Amino acid sequence: MSVTPSLLDRSLRPLHRWVWAERGRRARKLLRFAETERSGGREIARAAECTSDPILRRLLLRHAQDEERHAELFGARGRALRKGAPSSQLEANWLAPGERGLDELRADRLSERALLAFLHLSEKAAARRFALYRQVLGADPETSAVFAEVLADEEFHMTYTRTQLERVATGRRGRALWRARGARIWKAYLRLAAALAGLLGHLVLTIQYFVLVPPFALLARRAARRERAGWHSAEARPAADLEGQY
Amino acid sequence: MRILGISAHYHDSAAALLVDGVPVAAVQEERLSRRKNDAAFPLAAIEWCLERGGLEPDELDAVVFYEKPMLKFDRILTTLLRAFPHSCRAFAQAMKNTVGEKIWVKGIIASRLGVPARKILFTQHHQAHAAAAFFTAPTRQAAILTADGVGEWATLTVGRGQRPADGPCRLELLREVRFPHSLGMLYSTFTAYLGFPVNEGEYKVMGLASYGKPVYAAEVRRLVPRTADGAFSLALEYFEFHTTARRSYSSRFLELFGPARDPLDPIDLDTAEGRRFADVAASVQLVLEELLIDLARALRRELDLPDLCLGGGVALNGCANARLLAESGFERLFVPPAPGDAGCALGAALVADRLHFGNPDRQLPDHPFWGPEVATADLARLADEDGLACHQVEEGALVDEVVEALASGAVVGWMEGAGELGPRALGHRSLLAAPHDAQMRDRLNLRIKRREEFRPFAPAVPAELADRYFQLPPGGVRLGRFMSGVFPVRPEWRPRLQAVTHVDGTARVQTVDATMAPRFHALLHAYGRRSGIPVLLNTSFNLAGEPIVSRAVEGYSTFRRSDMDLLVVGNALVRKARARTVERREAAE
Repeated sequence: MSVTPSLLDRSLRPLHRWVWAERGRRARKLLRFAETERSGGREIARAAECTSDPILRRLLLRHAQDEERHAELFGARGRALRKGAPSSQLEANWLAPGERGLDELRADRLSERALLAFLHLSEKAAARRFALYRQVLGADPETSAVFAEVLADEEFHMTYTRTQLERVATGRRGRALWRARGARIWKAYLRLAAALAGLLGHLVLTIQYFVLVPPFALLARRAARRERAGWHSAEARPAADLEGQY
Repeated sequence: MRILGISAHYHDSAAALLVDGVPVAAVQEERLSRRKNDAAFPLAAIEWCLERGGLEPDELDAVVFYEKPMLKFDRILTTLLRAFPHSCRAFAQAMKNTVGEKIWVKGIIASRLGVPARKILFTQHHQAHAAAAFFTAPTRQAAILTADGVGEWATLTVGRGQRPADGPCRLELLREVRFPHSLGMLYSTFTAYLGFPVNEGEYKVMGLASYGKPVYAAEVRRLVPRTADGAFSLALEYFEFHTTARRSYSSRFLELFGPARDPLDPIDLDTAEGRRFADVAASVQLVLEELLIDLARALRRELDLPDLCLGGGVALNGCANARLLAESGFERLFVPPAPGDAGCALGAALVADRLHFGNPDRQLPDHPFWGPEVATADLARLADEDGLACHQVEEGALVDEVVEALASGAVVGWMEGAGELGPRALGHRSLLAAPHDAQMRDRLNLRIKRREEFRPFAPAVPAELADRYFQLPPGGVRLGRFMSGVFPVRPEWRPRLQAVTHVDGTARVQTVDATMAPRFHALLHAYGRRSGIPVLLNTSFNLAGEPIVSRAVEGYSTFRRSDMDLLVVGNALVRKARARTVERREAAE
């Protein structure tokens, strides 16, 4: 199976080239990818522990080992690039993420069918992204080779998840995949909604902080000045009084 | 009387069930959810404890939470107010966290468990630490010292406990040091500065410290000046943990110690920068030890009691514990197997039982094995499904077979009985290996545990033979019972105990008592007969970033994903060789 980057990613190729051009950033991104792969591997191992299907368990365990190996590959290359490279804080992960999604997997809460569909879509998305990164990293053949090696595994993961999905959801593979796509969209919506709600909450609390808090802050600071450091008596509260929350 | 203790919402949530004054079950949520340091409300742990006790929630007499949520909220709010206007970002975040969930503990417990609100009780955080340390220790009266990051307001307390044979128990906390002045936060700030995750990487700081020299000790002492009354304070201009959530150290801290380590950079001890980090770690370790010893000496003089019970996360620092035992003047030092927040679930239940309800004292079993039991049949089923040979053998033959494997360089996953409460694997969920070669340490660090190469491994030795191999002070065997102390390896044995001897010649010894872990004890003796040294490398049965395994399937999964050679679950034994063949065939298909 040959994996090609998505149309959107292909149209953003110059941007991706820019993201990966700087050595320091490249190193940071690879080290971050290593963390993501490792965390994804743990979740897949958890899925293997939860399933009662022995074939699936063996494949998931191998998948988990692959993720660990990817983490080592990315980590080793990241560390090699980092030596002597200028430090870059910007990672641009919003544009060029790693294997996004696996660290959101809650294997113990998914059916085998849902799990396989989710994994298949995640692996496919990751494979398409890694195919693009391999292309834009032409000037760094060693990093490109790392992506090529990881990509080969991703293709295997795409294949086995599809085959196993066909096995466990006989004749209903398409439906499972569409449900997984729907779940991904719903999760993305929830993430966006939570981020927006968080932002609004933050804004309201910040306004309150500057409008309501100052007089109390003044009192608290005055009280703090009177408070001495060192020992304080701990006997004020009776040890056996467990009914109060204060 | 049936009492459920709960700790949650900060790190290491857990549940413990006490029936008629004795624990029947206790487990950390992470062991069931499989999320390391899981801080979520421990529903799975609670369900398991109740199932183990054969109880429904409405049969409980009390549910005890390990701290007072409103008092904690008071501290958070007051601290933020004091830091105005620098606490702007932290304020919004803290309000969302606390008002969003953490102060509604009573409602959460009532709704999740369906117990009436009147049955829900709250201990003070350090009271729970103190109870977990004192009521589980085999002593009738003792001084108590607890130290951690922070509970409600208290960060360190001293007190005393009494368990008379014929009267009510007493546990008095006499004095406390309050937030933001905190030894736990001091150590955690350095943990963050050294690029390790807080609440998890403190072990790494301790391990790294052995590679350095305390050349920054004077600078660290400036951060934590002593007060006239014998306590300490933090020089707050060097810290930011009390004002922002962004980082815990200030720019002045960086002026003093230099740039912080980027967590993405490995520590290379061959470089000047790597040695600087090791020196900083050694310095904070030294200052922490000095402070604890001084506080303990004063307590010894004040209370004139021979025993000290130590609780709180700081009590996980084995180097400090060993120095406390040797230099504080106390004759015996008791550290429970779970001195951190997980143990507070048990501590909270004990406070309710002994102090609130006034029940008489009961001698508690002196072991950490309160978690889920492992099932041999599960391993047999898994192995059978994967076409692996699973031998079920009688005890003696199993020990012999494992000893042969260990002697030939195998790494063995060893699971038996109930899992441990607390962060240490003490022989029921352990990875075992021969302790002789440094290559074994490197293999375990790099290929199995996948962690930093500077981190040491612990030895396990039969308690009655410990003194032959390790320089234990009086009381050292007791401290080693739950792997709570770091002691020198006797120089003549270091060449043959390379895998468990740290760079400074020390080891975090587990002294295995035959009554606590008879089978593990027998294994050590059998290994001694085979190799001449009854010592094994004992590390927790998990991979980096994962909690210690609990059920057989988790042990099996870890076995398959790592470079281990042999897995033992109860009386069943599986080797790796054939597993690879099956796996390769399936992958090819």
